[in-house]
Amino acid sequence: MKIGTHGLLFMAALSLSSTGLRAQVRVLMIANPGVKAEAVTKKEIRSVFTGASVSLSDGERVKPVLLKEGPAQAAFASDEAEMSQVGLIVCWRNLVFSGQATMPQTFGDEPSVVSYVARTPGALGYISTATPHEGVKVLPVK
Amino acid sequence: MFRWRLLAAAALAVAGLCSAQSDVELGNLQIHGFATQALVATSHNNYLSMDSRNGSLAWTEAALNVNDQVNDRLRAGVQFHYTRLGVFGGDDISVDWALGDYALNQYFGLRAGKVKIRWGLYNDTQDYDPGYMWSLLPETMYAVDWRATDLAQMGAEAYGKVPLGEHLGTMSYSAYYGNYFYSSSDGLMESFKEEGLNFTTPPGGKTPGFDLRWAMPVSGLEVGGSLMMYNATGTLTNGTFNQPTAFWPAYYAQYDFKKFFTSGQYSKVVEYNISNIAGSGPSIDGLDQRAWFAMGGYHLTDKLEAGAYYTHLLDAGHDNSDPDNYFRDWVVSGRYDFNVNFYLKMEGHFIDGNAVGFYTFDNPSGFARRTNAGVVKLGFSF
Repeated sequence: MKIGTHGLLFMAALSLSSTGLRAQVRVLMIANPGVKAEAVTKKEIRSVFTGASVSLSDGERVKPVLLKEGPAQAAFASDEAEMSQVGLIVCWRNLVFSGQATMPQTFGDEPSVVSYVARTPGALGYISTATPHEGVKVLPVK
Repeated sequence: MFRWRLLAAAALAVAGLCSAQSDVELGNLQIHGFATQALVATSHNNYLSMDSRNGSLAWTEAALNVNDQVNDRLRAGVQFHYTRLGVFGGDDISVDWALGDYALNQYFGLRAGKVKIRWGLYNDTQDYDPGYMWSLLPETMYAVDWRATDLAQMGAEAYGKVPLGEHLGTMSYSAYYGNYFYSSSDGLMESFKEEGLNFTTPPGGKTPGFDLRWAMPVSGLEVGGSLMMYNATGTLTNGTFNQPTAFWPAYYAQYDFKKFFTSGQYSKVVEYNISNIAGSGPSIDGLDQRAWFAMGGYHLTDKLEAGAYYTHLLDAGHDNSDPDNYFRDWVVSGRYDFNVNFYLKMEGHFIDGNAVGFYTFDNPSGFARRTNAGVVKLGFSF
């Protein structure tokens, strides 16, 4: 029983330390220049990035692009999608493992996200504000 | 048996580790999988066909799927599933789903093949363990020892989403029709066997149904209802079996926002099993089961989630003071995600009654009314 309690405390400490890192990062929503929308709402972000919808509220079809892990992914999940980092991935995996969808394109680094969004019609992604993002459209969050 | 379990777990572990923490992609092909291993210990009764009073490791699950997104509208995929739960499941790897999916637009799509059944909040995702916090979903409606029968149908499903406007939310629908067969190796067949019904081949029938759910304008709030209908015919070693169409509705609501979630569901089913045994004439066995659950959870940190639920089932057609005719379960649970691939679950159950999940063959001295259970699960998914 003592091992269990210590283990839980250790895991909680690890989790809190990762939360501290996340607080320093802010994210930008980026889209392929062909996307017509000039801004997105948090509701639209949550809907598209959890697989609940394939389009923005004006009906325009978009393709979400995910980061695997890291501070930008954690900040996006918490601040924009309003859920945990793991929760965001689990949403998609629930769709995949029940035979309802495929996973969105997922990248391990932010430059790859910028490059993919720039060349893929309808792509919608997120990066940290410090990442260079030429060739994509920045969408303010309303 | 052990060889298959080891091979399945090892294959998926290697695939998971090689995937650099995420999915495997080969051109348009995506490959995903998961594996879990549980330790279950109980007081008083053995549970779910395991030798759980002595602590049992006899619960292993794994799955592997391949999807090909041919173009924006057309997708094809298949998922293989391995389950060993006590004496149920087995060495064979089953096809969990295998389908073609054509999404015309967001309003209408069509899936055909072996398709998961959308019923209530969790039927179509209940065999994907990494998808939820609990080690065991409410046994009253998502019986882990019966799910080989209820999960999928061989036929077609129409599905879609209809936006109702900015202030009214979105309506999602699923309507399906197909054939299904009882699994030859799960708790449902074992229950028939303990009632003296031995089938030459597993019975089967038609299962039409639908699900309608409304994502309300309040972010994270969803309400809905499902209706699964099913009938079955089969051949007994000494007669025939007939199950007229039964109606199994479920009504549910869930609220999922930021670190908090809560959900609840109510269902009712009236079912008649007519067996015609040679020499003794027809006999009718009926049940009138009502069940519900309420659950909630909270992310204490980004990686640590805790929650609790209560579920209750009773057979209204029989004596409700008899523990054989009811099941109540208080559950406390926790889940820790080491990263997006690996996780650990711990769960405690405080059970009163034995209407579901308990079997005579591994409780030969009879059932105690109360059972406490502890479950620890380690799993990974990619």
